[in-house]
Amino acid sequence: MAIATKPKTGFWAVLWDLLTTVDHKKIGLLYTATAFFAFALAGVFSLLIRTQLAVPNNQFLTGEQYNQILTLHGATMLFFFIIQAGLTGFGNFVVPLMLGARDVALPRVNAFSYWAFLGAIVLALMSYFFPGGAPSVGWTFYYPFSAQSGSGVNFYMAAILLLGFSSLLGNANFIATIYNLRAQGMSLWKMPIYVWSVFAASVLNLFSLAGLTAATLLILLDRKIGLTWFNPDIGGDPVLFQQFFWFYSHPTVYVMLLPYLGILAEVASTFARKPLFGYKQMVWAQMGIVVLGTMVWAHHMFTVGESTIFQIAFAFFTALIAVPTGVKLFNIIGTLWGGHLQMKTPLYWVLGFIFNFLLGGITGVMLSMTPLDYQFHDSYFVVAHFHNVLMAGSGFGAFAGLYYWWPKMTGRMYDERLGRLHFWLFLVGYLLTFLPQYVLGYLGMPRRYYTYNADIAGWPELNLLSTIGAFILGLGGLVWIYAMWKSLRSGPKAPDNPWGGYTLEWLTASPPKAHNFDVKLPAEFPSERPLYDWAKKGVELKPEDPSHIHLPNSSFWPFYSAATLFAFFVSVAALPVPNLWMWVFLALFAYGLVRWALEDEYSHPVEHHTVSGKSNAWMGMAWFIVSEVGLFAILIAGYLYLRLSGAATPPEERPALWLALLNTFFLVSSSFTVHFAHHDLRRGRFNPFRFGLLVTILLGVLFFLFQAWEFYQFHHHSSWQENLWTAAFFTIVGLHGLHVVIGGFGLVLAYLQALRGKITLHNHGTLEAASMYWHLVDAVWLFIVTIFYIW
Amino acid sequence: MKRVLMALSLWGLALAQEVHRVAITHPGGSYNQEVAFLFPWVYFFSFLVFLVVAGALAYVVLKFRAKPGQEGEPPQIHGNDRLEVIWTLIPLAIVFILFGLTAKALIQVNRPIPGAMKVEVTGYQFWWDFHYPELGLRNSNELILPAGVPVELEITSKDVIHSFWVPGLSGKRDAIPGQKTLLRFTPKEPGNYYGFCAELCGASHSRMLFRVLVVPKEEFDRFVEAAKAYTPPVADAQGQQVFQQNCAACHAVQGKMPPAVIGPELGFAGNRTSLAAGIVENTPENLKAWIKDPTALKPGAKMPGFPQLSEGDLDALVRYLEGLKVEGVDFKALPKF
Repeated sequence: MAIATKPKTGFWAVLWDLLTTVDHKKIGLLYTATAFFAFALAGVFSLLIRTQLAVPNNQFLTGEQYNQILTLHGATMLFFFIIQAGLTGFGNFVVPLMLGARDVALPRVNAFSYWAFLGAIVLALMSYFFPGGAPSVGWTFYYPFSAQSGSGVNFYMAAILLLGFSSLLGNANFIATIYNLRAQGMSLWKMPIYVWSVFAASVLNLFSLAGLTAATLLILLDRKIGLTWFNPDIGGDPVLFQQFFWFYSHPTVYVMLLPYLGILAEVASTFARKPLFGYKQMVWAQMGIVVLGTMVWAHHMFTVGESTIFQIAFAFFTALIAVPTGVKLFNIIGTLWGGHLQMKTPLYWVLGFIFNFLLGGITGVMLSMTPLDYQFHDSYFVVAHFHNVLMAGSGFGAFAGLYYWWPKMTGRMYDERLGRLHFWLFLVGYLLTFLPQYVLGYLGMPRRYYTYNADIAGWPELNLLSTIGAFILGLGGLVWIYAMWKSLRSGPKAPDNPWGGYTLEWLTASPPKAHNFDVKLPAEFPSERPLYDWAKKGVELKPEDPSHIHLPNSSFWPFYSAATLFAFFVSVAALPVPNLWMWVFLALFAYGLVRWALEDEYSHPVEHHTVSGKSNAWMGMAWFIVSEVGLFAILIAGYLYLRLSGAATPPEERPALWLALLNTFFLVSSSFTVHFAHHDLRRGRFNPFRFGLLVTILLGVLFFLFQAWEFYQFHHHSSWQENLWTAAFFTIVGLHGLHVVIGGFGLVLAYLQALRGKITLHNHGTLEAASMYWHLVDAVWLFIVTIFYIW
Repeated sequence: MKRVLMALSLWGLALAQEVHRVAITHPGGSYNQEVAFLFPWVYFFSFLVFLVVAGALAYVVLKFRAKPGQEGEPPQIHGNDRLEVIWTLIPLAIVFILFGLTAKALIQVNRPIPGAMKVEVTGYQFWWDFHYPELGLRNSNELILPAGVPVELEITSKDVIHSFWVPGLSGKRDAIPGQKTLLRFTPKEPGNYYGFCAELCGASHSRMLFRVLVVPKEEFDRFVEAAKAYTPPVADAQGQQVFQQNCAACHAVQGKMPPAVIGPELGFAGNRTSLAAGIVENTPENLKAWIKDPTALKPGAKMPGFPQLSEGDLDALVRYLEGLKVEGVDFKALPKF
């Protein structure tokens, strides 16, 4: 049996184990713990906010302090709690179990994602200890406010970029896992609904994250080197920032919702002792949300003065998205209908969710009515609405998941009474906090006000009520922490399947063993409830032959790589750019990747069967590339807008076309050489393969050198601070150059693997991923030549 | 009993006079009047949906909770296509109806109004400037409008993004640097309306308030006439001197557009109902406190404090400023919304 079971002793051994683990369950636990810690922290921030607002003209916080806390509250809740808990937290722990897999598709990438995520939190919070303080521009960091505000914004931008990197890898990993590692016999339509919801959320994030990356990158460039797309003094458009930002930040509210809809459906089915009502319709509704979710972003911008027809189009899709969301809610009620409801804590959260989300859905439809939105926008009505869907919606979903899977994750039961007390305090506290805020919206109170005058009817009383509610929520939080602590300390041992769950995670021990399943899973999945079906049919589960179990090796390099990348972002945020430290950390990061690439993922070279027949690296990269295409697409769309509206006009002297064409030749040829190299490898011709790879790398280097020379020349002719076209040129072409470096480095890793004899006929994921990436770099370049050099 | 009621109603009256009754449903202007018809529709459907879903939820909890000692499993129903189609189509129909009404109202409130009076609105951290290009007048932080006359506000910003919002009159519109956004409505009911900056703009975002003073047409005309012929009165010569030495570099008192705007216009300071962008009442005490230390009231304000002014100079300055007004108009008695 290939399972290394090291006896754990002492603090350092445990720490080392956590730093090097690639076990999806440990990583899932780390994600979950970190996300809920972020929830608690952001909850404390919210109590500071409500304390300040308890009475008019309060002096508890200054305006600047208030804005900092407000920004951290929003950013922490959204980026570090609500997106994470349901997706990366429970997702990492549960999805492989539900699929009957032993780990995720790319276990080391998974570990890297977690450590990068942790680095992002540290980056965002550490800004507080620097002279500029924490960011104070709101989690939305609108231009030009964010370009002029204190240095906290640098850390915030760096944190978002690092987090984006982490979450894209995580999303691609989930999709590769879902495509490749399903148990034999489990078709897509037999997957548990929660797996579907993780799939939907991952796809949506891969498609839309580009908007946030573009917005963040451009703010950071503006602040660090004065490169600007938005500055109105040179014809830039501050509203373009908002288009970028909301292109991501609206879809992401569905990333924040979908996994929880999956959790709630699972809990409803288990505790009603019934199958899901309308499983397929729920899946379609989910995919409908994904599609519509990308078409509604401008409803956050109804007040910026866009044309009426533009607003009507977005109002339409915004109203429309209420339908699939409503369908999900009805189907959950349908699942409960006629069941034998086991009134346990997780079910309470589901019921609370339905009630609260109903309110949030109704007020969401009100907000879609644009003329009313002109009034509600940026008022406390909106604050109440999004807390209704995110805090009392997704947040309740997070707690449903936590109480549902707690016994599985920790191996301990919790005190039902404490769980229910927590629920009731949260429900009452929630309603008392936010129902008055709806009224405050009607009474004209704008959001993000650190204080208010006493001479407006209703404001002082309603704000005081809201603050009282917030402290009831705080009390609920204490009960929650006590319940968790008590369970860990003295909770009774949890049975394998305490709730009678129907999905495969309940087949494992509580907590699951390192290899998850002791038994060999039958290859028949009549429905999405295998345990129910197998029990009905009386299928007998036979133990798995231990020699068939292979687990990936622990590795230090994911943690090391994430840590050096984190250090790189710290030096970018804290020091003027460029600086020596960032190059040092980048070099250390590259060293980590080399060590990672040369390390064996598995001790024994084994053939890994995948459902799709494609390697895990291929599948992961294919989906990761979706996000890269998105990033270039959104930046190019922004450039086209600036160009066609006449704001961006090329300077007299432009970079030469002949050089670009020469570079095109290099890059296109290199796509061929890498293709033939791969071809040679598959034929088992190792020497031509290595040679082809080397030629590809050299062509890439040539391209890069010519590009660098061109940049150097052009930089002296035209400044990105003064000309929008030049700014767009350096951003997009420069970003492409960065991709050439990344892709080229990937090829170098594959080349090093080949030199060490680590690339075999069937096991060459790094090469597959790197060459696919290289083709992307090539394709993007053809667009760039057209829109920057020829046009 | 009668006495108690009497006392209560008196107290209510007193309270009503003291405070502003701000509400987005207040029909103070054409905008709020034109969108008001949306509320009954959306309330009706909201109530309907709430009743059905919350009712179903309550029924589920009461009816289907497991009874003690219950044996066996409930019927294993996997769905019902007809039901699912119905509960997709009904919300779809509701959404279409509401969307149709939305489009209608949206087109109506955004359409140009012929003959509207233009006002240029400019947001600064953390105050508002109002310029009437057709009248050649300027005032800061209090926008004076005639009731019944349509206005077209041309809104922009000189620094970060702000948002112009007067809940009792109309929806909001963002003030974006380098761009002009338009907001059109007809103020109907005379009153002193609270205005707010509704886009986070800095440490004193919540101290960037303003007022819209909607006055009867005759009173507005009287004000305009007097303002056009305005020469800043000198209520206190010493105060004027203090002003020239300390304030005139940033503040104008002509009531007209100066070549470069630095600070708020003080031409009609004596007519103002509020100070420091609508955050405190316009009284001599408040004005003195403001001049001594503006950042105490408004952190991040660009105006420096003048603690060095002697008590006498300060009193003279305040007398001079309070005297900067057009006679024959009184905005302080307007009802507060």
